[in-house]
Amino acid sequence: MAAGRGTAAEACVGQVVLPGDVLLLPARPDEDGERLRLGAGAAPRGRLLCGPGLRRCAAGLLVTKCGLLRHRQAGGGATAAGGAYWVDSQQKRYVPVKGDHVIGIVTAKAGDVFKLDVGGSEQASLSYLAFEGATKRNRPNVQVGDLIYGQFLVANKDMEPEMVCIDSSGRSSGMGIIGEDGFLFKVSLGLIRKLLAPKCEIIQELSQLYPFELVLGMNGRIWVKAKTVQQTLIIVNILEACEYMTAEQRKQALAKFSGN
Amino acid sequence: SFIIEERSFMSCEDLLYGRMSFKGFNPEIEKLMIQMNSRCKEEEIEVDDKMEADVSDEEMARRYETLVGTIGKKFLRKRDQRVLQDEDEDGNSNRRPSKKAKKKFLKPQD
Repeated sequence: MAAGRGTAAEACVGQVVLPGDVLLLPARPDEDGERLRLGAGAAPRGRLLCGPGLRRCAAGLLVTKCGLLRHRQAGGGATAAGGAYWVDSQQKRYVPVKGDHVIGIVTAKAGDVFKLDVGGSEQASLSYLAFEGATKRNRPNVQVGDLIYGQFLVANKDMEPEMVCIDSSGRSSGMGIIGEDGFLFKVSLGLIRKLLAPKCEIIQELSQLYPFELVLGMNGRIWVKAKTVQQTLIIVNILEACEYMTAEQRKQALAKFSGN
Repeated sequence: SFIIEERSFMSCEDLLYGRMSFKGFNPEIEKLMIQMNSRCKEEEIEVDDKMEADVSDEEMARRYETLVGTIGKKFLRKRDQRVLQDEDEDGNSNRRPSKKAKKKFLKPQD
């Protein structure tokens, strides 16, 4: 079946798109790269961010995952100038992406390198020097079975993923070995993104309940630690169930526990 | 036109930092949360936390005043050291002539 002619990208924002759909972008008036327009905003307007689930093709953007099409307007200063399009899809299996912060479980120590299980197709490697304040003599105290929060340095389909626990300026900024106790469990990737959204109601409502600590990894893993085992398990159950609960049901469930 | 392909969600959506702590469970992480999330919204604002000083500023100034003199004396030559000593005993006029007398060569009296 030949693919039909594409539809305009703006028209599909917020609707379900399927793999194989072609999205047309509005034609750019100043496509001529030779002429450099000396004017404010001439160059940045051309750049468009094509996010996960989309790929560039001759006519415009080709959809590769099914989900809802999202769009973010241009502007915003520090973030990428020019608009951004991406597909909000749902999946449980994680594919390592460079720059993502994930929770990994140490499975092996091979000389100078730790092997971490991050839920992808391969195990990620983490050098012992990639911690803050680590030198050849001063090695970090990492054992098999520890939880590590780090980010991907290298993550593509041709190479083994590599992780580090420091950022570009050499500071750990919260990454490294996650402490003892606590509970680790797995959820779908869409829920993680929903929880990490700037104003997430679920997190706000939970924070009113008990004092607790939470680490969210982009690979679908969540680590929770509260004062007692019972409180930890309550938070875990709420986080697992809130994916399929409406706001009303969630508020009812939390109201039951806020008395405890 | 220029289209950039990205596989990460971090640059598309404005996601918060993954480590969070609530109600004071882990104070370091709470400080980190404020720092990280304000960095996303605006340019990095450096918050200068004034650490509580063990020694007050006045005491520090007083100590430094005398300290400079003490260390400076170490590097004076012997002659300059004597001059300093003279200056210290300004009020005492008795000693001065005796020192001056010492410096001059005493002719033997016939």
